[in-house]
Amino acid sequence: MARQTVADGVVSLELAASSGESLPPWQPGAHIDVVLPTGVTRQYSLCGPVKDTARWRVAVLREPDGRGGSQWIHDHLVEGGELRVRGPRNNFPLRPAARYLFVGGGIGITPLLPMIAEAEATGAEWSLLYGGRTRASMAFLPELEGYGERVTVRPQDQYGLLDLAGYLGDPDPSALVYCCGPAGLIDAVEAHCAGWPTGALNVERFAAAAVRQPADDEAEQPIEVELRASGTTLTVPPGLSVLKAVEQAGVPVLSSCEEGICGSCETSVLEGEVDHRDSLLTDDERAANDTMLICVSRARGRRLVLNL
Amino acid sequence: MTLTQHVRNGWYLGAWSDEIGRTLKQRWITDIPVCFYRLPDQTVTAVEDRCPHRKYPLSLGHLDDDGTLQCDYHGYRFDGQGVCVGVAEQADKPKAALRRFPLVERDGAIWIWPGDPELADESLLPDTSWLTDPNWTHVHGVVPLKARHMLLLENLLDLTHETFLHPTSIGNAAVAATPIDVTVDGDRVGFSRRMIGIEAPPFYEKSCGLTSPVDRWQDGDFYPPGIFVLNIRVAATGTEEPDGFHMKVLYGMTPGRGNETHDFYALGRDYLIDDEELTRFQHEQQLAVMQEDVDALEAQEIMYATDPGGTAESSIKSDLAALRGRRAVAKMLTREQQAGGTRPRASA
Ligand code: FES
Ligand code: FES
Ligand SMILES: [Fe+2]
Repeated sequence: MARQTVADGVVSLELAASSGESLPPWQPGAHIDVVLPTGVTRQYSLCGPVKDTARWRVAVLREPDGRGGSQWIHDHLVEGGELRVRGPRNNFPLRPAARYLFVGGGIGITPLLPMIAEAEATGAEWSLLYGGRTRASMAFLPELEGYGERVTVRPQDQYGLLDLAGYLGDPDPSALVYCCGPAGLIDAVEAHCAGWPTGALNVERFAAAAVRQPADDEAEQPIEVELRASGTTLTVPPGLSVLKAVEQAGVPVLSSCEEGICGSCETSVLEGEVDHRDSLLTDDERAANDTMLICVSRARGRRLVLNL
Repeated sequence: MTLTQHVRNGWYLGAWSDEIGRTLKQRWITDIPVCFYRLPDQTVTAVEDRCPHRKYPLSLGHLDDDGTLQCDYHGYRFDGQGVCVGVAEQADKPKAALRRFPLVERDGAIWIWPGDPELADESLLPDTSWLTDPNWTHVHGVVPLKARHMLLLENLLDLTHETFLHPTSIGNAAVAATPIDVTVDGDRVGFSRRMIGIEAPPFYEKSCGLTSPVDRWQDGDFYPPGIFVLNIRVAATGTEEPDGFHMKVLYGMTPGRGNETHDFYALGRDYLIDDEELTRFQHEQQLAVMQEDVDALEAQEIMYATDPGGTAESSIKSDLAALRGRRAVAKMLTREQQAGGTRPRASA
């Protein structure tokens, strides 16, 4: 495994089989699952040349608010280190077309790179609109420069939001649109393409970084949760939510969305520091540390005391 | 969502100025009957609409030219301060006074504070100067709604419903497809949605003469418990913010009696302000859109009211502003009850 920083907060990794054997074939749009030593599994799009069976390239954006996978790679994966991977699999295949309109946002450029190479190889007409926060945060610019005018690079700090209307234009029955990036971008592209023929738009979403997702596979440590009113103490293993553990202990508690949105599982916290992973509480409510949504949130330390 | 108790320590839109004159007007507010009227010096007054004698509605009585309010059941008479100044039947005055509510009349709106008068704080009111700004024009009114105030609140804080409920006027796919940013500032909840390069919804196409693509911004601010202001900007895509068409919608979500709500509205714009044709069109559209909301909310009210067990609701990301709005109201209610409130417990 070789690593290289390719933009602010983005490292690219080149992976080769430790046995030295050649790697399985794949098609543009494919991703691999990376299984980290912490037990976390993350998907990364393959972004090197399809023909290269000796190594795979992926790029990893550090997501401080993510589930810890990207942080681990940035902080602990060293040059020459080992990674377990599965795949490749392809949920985002490139279908044949005379014309392609690619829209990439931030790290969403990765699956598009081999697609672009393919479009170029087959002689299709194509263009790319590539947005990011700042130029420095956008990976693979030198590589893309080689394509000349087909590529439009639009960092947000210089140009604002992407001019999707200008770029996509009117529905073109001969064209396919491929978009990957943050949810907001995909939503906007979807809105634009509402009038396009069915199937013209193809997107790959990756989870929004801003919102902490349920703890399932991330919870690194077991935590101890005392339910003061019931006089019970539980050990909540990684991978189990506090809500589920409480339910399994036979303590009745309301819940509905189990995603940290609805607030029905809200529980008062008597002791311990909460690691808030919900979407609902405000910053003030979080800072007060006296309430938590137990379906997704956990403890910063090893112990919580709840009013249950 | 079974929050049916009402916060009283807060401002509600009680009436539009032009609704209140020298006749007595009854309007229930947070389950309190209120009688609005003007004194000879034109100041507006609101008193509890229950005669201290045998609770007959004072609004069924009459107002003398000197501003004396008379109950037309047994003749109790009250001065401008609500103090009983006599009764037709006997010479000595009964000891009685009416409960009067803090009011603020500003920009053509009358705001009422149904709770503890000590706490009535004018600075909590939103800026409504556009209602009287000569560079703006607006239409306003009030629509009766047989649904609890919270449902209206959630309707306004989650505008993704425009896509589905108002497809022929203000909604299109872009609304539901564009995520919102939600901010909380003390008790206030705000959201913002930026729709860039979208298809122009029919209402904006007609009211601004715009063709697609357009940029459309919605910034909503909820001033709990009952005021909502939506700032709208529509512009040809690429136009700078100040050059766009600006509109504002003010909603006064005022709980009435039981699960009824007064749905006050004002719709303003800062362009073509002398175009009466456009004003008429916008007013008609506003009422048509509100009717779609009223129909939906009244259907929804029945479903909440007949589900006392409160089967679980499912929520999604776009509910965030509305859920924060609920929390803000629930918190105010808790504060009020802890401050020695006289109200029964909320079943939130
Ligand atoms: S169950 Fe919805 S926030 Fe926990
Ligand atoms: S009820 Fe008003 S005077 Fe008797
Ligand atoms: Fe509506």
